[in-house]
Amino acid sequence: MKTPVAPKNQLSVLIVGDDPLVAEFSEIAAAAKYAVVPPGSIKNLRPVSGKISIALELSNIDLAQKRKNLEMLDRSLPETTAILSSSVNVSVLDQARWIIRNHRLVGIAALPTLVKNTLVEVSPSAFTSEASVDVARRFFASVNKEIAVVQDRVGMVLPRILCQIINEAMFAVQQDVALPEAVDTAMKLGMNYPSGPIEWGEKIGFTQVCAALDALHADLGEERYRVCPLLKEIAATGKFWGK
Amino acid sequence: MKRLSIIVPQALEVSEFFYILIEGPSAMIYSVGIVGAGTMGTGIARVAALSKFNVALYDINETVIHNGIARIAAGMKKSVERQQLSQEEMSDALSRIHPRTKLSDLSHCDVIIEAVLEDLRIKKDLFRHLDADVKAETLLATNTSSLSVTAIASGVKRSERVVGLHFFNPVHLMKLVEVVQGAQTSDETMQRAIEFGEKLGKTCVRVKDTPGFIANRVARPFYGEALRILGEGIASVEEIDRIVKGEGGFSMGPFELMDLIGIDVNLAVTQSVYEQFFNDPRYRPHPIQRQMVDAGKLGKKSGKGFYNY
Repeated sequence: MKTPVAPKNQLSVLIVGDDPLVAEFSEIAAAAKYAVVPPGSIKNLRPVSGKISIALELSNIDLAQKRKNLEMLDRSLPETTAILSSSVNVSVLDQARWIIRNHRLVGIAALPTLVKNTLVEVSPSAFTSEASVDVARRFFASVNKEIAVVQDRVGMVLPRILCQIINEAMFAVQQDVALPEAVDTAMKLGMNYPSGPIEWGEKIGFTQVCAALDALHADLGEERYRVCPLLKEIAATGKFWGK
Repeated sequence: MKRLSIIVPQALEVSEFFYILIEGPSAMIYSVGIVGAGTMGTGIARVAALSKFNVALYDINETVIHNGIARIAAGMKKSVERQQLSQEEMSDALSRIHPRTKLSDLSHCDVIIEAVLEDLRIKKDLFRHLDADVKAETLLATNTSSLSVTAIASGVKRSERVVGLHFFNPVHLMKLVEVVQGAQTSDETMQRAIEFGEKLGKTCVRVKDTPGFIANRVARPFYGEALRILGEGIASVEEIDRIVKGEGGFSMGPFELMDLIGIDVNLAVTQSVYEQFFNDPRYRPHPIQRQMVDAGKLGKKSGKGFYNY
């Protein structure tokens, strides 16, 4: 079994997955002079697969599609190519069971807008090789991000904390404790949050937040992670009640 | 039509001698009474005096008040050194703060803000006394951060004038005031409280009286989830703080912040919100918090917390 190696000339990065994430990661990779292979090319991967240095799978919402994407990547890419997969809503271990050469699979925390910050969470499964984690570390270093290695658990660290804050803010709005703008103002001015939780939810996408909370609820089986009905409704309709 | 009346207070200071009061919904506030010369009380006194209000600062013992005023003066002096404040503004503000050791000396005040211990019985007693002592139009405000405004007002006859004015520490830097409407608080009281808060240069948000109001409630998962993530062995204290700052853009990590606030204080707020929600599991405290408190590791103030100082 060959282990993934860090790309020598950092040729190209293949990015597939959910919409805003693909664009955000493509922008960051392109800025660091990677050739970004367009996500549409996954269907005819074979011709380009030889040149691909690293692959990113960034689906959070449609996990059936995520599985198909990972299976395709695993079949098409040489086993020396590492696959970094968003593991906010499904553990890396669960994903490792979907593919054969799972030593090259590394989990990352990918939620829209967060990658614009300076740190990315990375998580190996029990099958992931040291070398694959090292590829992830080098890749993120090449795009000017530091990494933090965390245990393989649904929600990882920041997505779990942040989505729960957004959920709580939504419960407060639903209970008519305050208007959404007042909740945002209170958290920014009273707690020095970089963004109000509701506007933050809007930036990340309420569908993404909802999916992360649903995954935590299913994984941990606790009432605590129950999605606020108002949040569900906004995720489904794209708007607030009465707005 | 609004009536004009002139009230001459008992207080001796010349600056406090004459008040022209416009009665009614937009009654002007000239004089502020503050009960409790601790951190929050003196913080509010400082901001009120700098906003040209006359402040009657009450506490049960004179030493506490004088220490409080000394802290205010020291704080203002720093602002003068940093050229955020002129010497004249400082002297003017300090001359507006009057120590008071009798509650009845606050009877002339247009608004009274309570900032005593977070103890429901003490606060309820205090508001019952104030309600009997002060003029009918005086706003009665509590700076409680975790108790129910409705419960605090429950023994008060004219409870429609009781309102929450939740300031944040340090008061002179934090822009936010949560203006809390208890079940009995009138809309007129809310309006006047918001106008007063804005005169202090604060941004006011309207909140209905519910456990933790907005900020302390919505912030619960910031600590609660971080503690669970630590407890489940997903990441260490240092790593969680680094992630929250680096990936989330927060200015402080949850563990640094708990150390700063005081782990005991943070646990008390968590517990209070949890109990007021009748043990809703979303607000459940974490055993790590209790253990830290039991071990005397309270954060920065005790030299040891999640970090060593």
